[in-house]
Amino acid sequence: MNRLKQSIAVAFAAAVMICVADPSAPAQTTGAATLPRTADGKPNLNGIWQVLNTAAWDIQDHTGQLGVPPGQGVVEGNEIPYQPQALAKKRENYAKRMTADPTETNCFLPGVPRATYMPYPFEIVQTPNHIAIRYEFAHALRTIPVNGSKHADGIPPTWMGDSRGRWEGDTLVIDVTNFNDETWFDRAGNFHSDALHVVERYTMTNADHILYEATIEDPKVFTRAWKMSMPLYRRLEKTVKLLEYECVFYLQEERYKNAPFK
Amino acid sequence: MRPSNSLIAIVLFASMARAQSARLPDGQPNMQGMYTRTGVKGLESEPPFNPIDPGEKNPLSVSNRGDGLGPYPRIFGEGGNVLRGQQARAQRPTGIVFPADKKLPWRPEEEAKRRQFLLDMNPPKDLRHIELNSRCALPGPFEGEDGNNPYTILQPPGQVVILYDYNHTSRVIDLNRREHLGKNIRLFMGDSIGHWEGNTLVVDTTNFNGRVAYSREIPYLSDALHTVERFTVVDENTIDYEVTIDDPQLFTGPWKVAGAFSKVSKGVESLEFACAEGSQTLQNIFGTPPTR
Repeated sequence: MNRLKQSIAVAFAAAVMICVADPSAPAQTTGAATLPRTADGKPNLNGIWQVLNTAAWDIQDHTGQLGVPPGQGVVEGNEIPYQPQALAKKRENYAKRMTADPTETNCFLPGVPRATYMPYPFEIVQTPNHIAIRYEFAHALRTIPVNGSKHADGIPPTWMGDSRGRWEGDTLVIDVTNFNDETWFDRAGNFHSDALHVVERYTMTNADHILYEATIEDPKVFTRAWKMSMPLYRRLEKTVKLLEYECVFYLQEERYKNAPFK
Repeated sequence: MRPSNSLIAIVLFASMARAQSARLPDGQPNMQGMYTRTGVKGLESEPPFNPIDPGEKNPLSVSNRGDGLGPYPRIFGEGGNVLRGQQARAQRPTGIVFPADKKLPWRPEEEAKRRQFLLDMNPPKDLRHIELNSRCALPGPFEGEDGNNPYTILQPPGQVVILYDYNHTSRVIDLNRREHLGKNIRLFMGDSIGHWEGNTLVVDTTNFNGRVAYSREIPYLSDALHTVERFTVVDENTIDYEVTIDDPQLFTGPWKVAGAFSKVSKGVESLEFACAEGSQTLQNIFGTPPTR
């Protein structure tokens, strides 16, 4: 019941934001000359960003339900090319989604690209050799070398992946590998294995919008690569700051309020 | 959940250490890089008895269990030893530097509460008496796991950003902002506004949530806490650090701790420190919560 209330509250907050945000969609092409740039000439992505969509609930087209805002999906072509067995697993996940989603049930790190489209803002910290992305949800943090280094070898799989960035013209491309198989893409049970490979592309289209694209490859789960895309909107409130959503801490306050149990 | 996922790793890797220019394009003195921190433990001249002591004498000490089930598997603490910062410079006085006798100006009734609180932490009486590190919460700006873990400083225009290796914590210090957040917004990490005075970054932080510790022996500070930190760029490898703790609810006056950040002598990359994802600490201490 609490979970439901929380979902409704978040959906309501998202709706309020949609009302106050810039209504114009980001242009797909803009004069590159007009983009804000850093001293080293790259598009300046510094700032606080957020999606305005319902991908956190379901990355595909979906109808509204109690506590689930309806939405058009973010998957190009809408179809996710699951292998037959994987499709069965996805349906099973969907059936038990209220209790089995690691992120919503246990507040675990959401993985990539899910961290991007959680209904919480995130902050890009851009310097020439390192880019950090700070996420409000669960204080998730990615530190991304943009210095030509290669993926690390022989390390345990991770929740947020191993990220390496590079610039292709004005697009920041981040290659992400070394995931574990424990996160879902959304609350609808879309999932991946530890063979997941994500390539993110951040293309600034004007001062306040970034086109975000994520190509998903996972030969254990899908028959081919597929892609999500969505705009990121700059949070324009004059005093906007990334705050703290300490999901784990709040969950402990609920689960352990009457502790000890033994 | 697999306990093995519970964390970490620090991998020796590419080099970050190289000559850097003294000023950044926005005029800030350049202190970017990876550092270890020393000297900042608030060791009092008359410390309280703390049953959660690193001496590992108490089997219930959640921070020091050696079975890998606590939040810090053994490998974790070794990072700081490998990464010991450059120590070329003569040490300044560190630790509590004001008052000079290292006796913190506790209000007597608050000192008594603090001592009782420490006793109630072991065994933990209830959730309130579990240290934040064992809850995988944001640690606040001070308690970076004894300074054994590296801190990476990035300086995008108008900000200083500190990335802690510890529990994927990070902190932003805004240089172009004058006013703190509204008083009803309370934060583990506080709300930080900074400005440069020559080579010294002065940081004013408020809006704390009353839950953050200064150290194991100072297990909480109140939400009236106000800190002023001074980060002084001494040379390419060294930042002198000083923090003034002003918490009128707990103390009759401010006190100061000094330490230093030293650039790591080997370039490293930090890997993921997932905490809650593998931690069994609360179940081990309290038992399994009833299903709702």
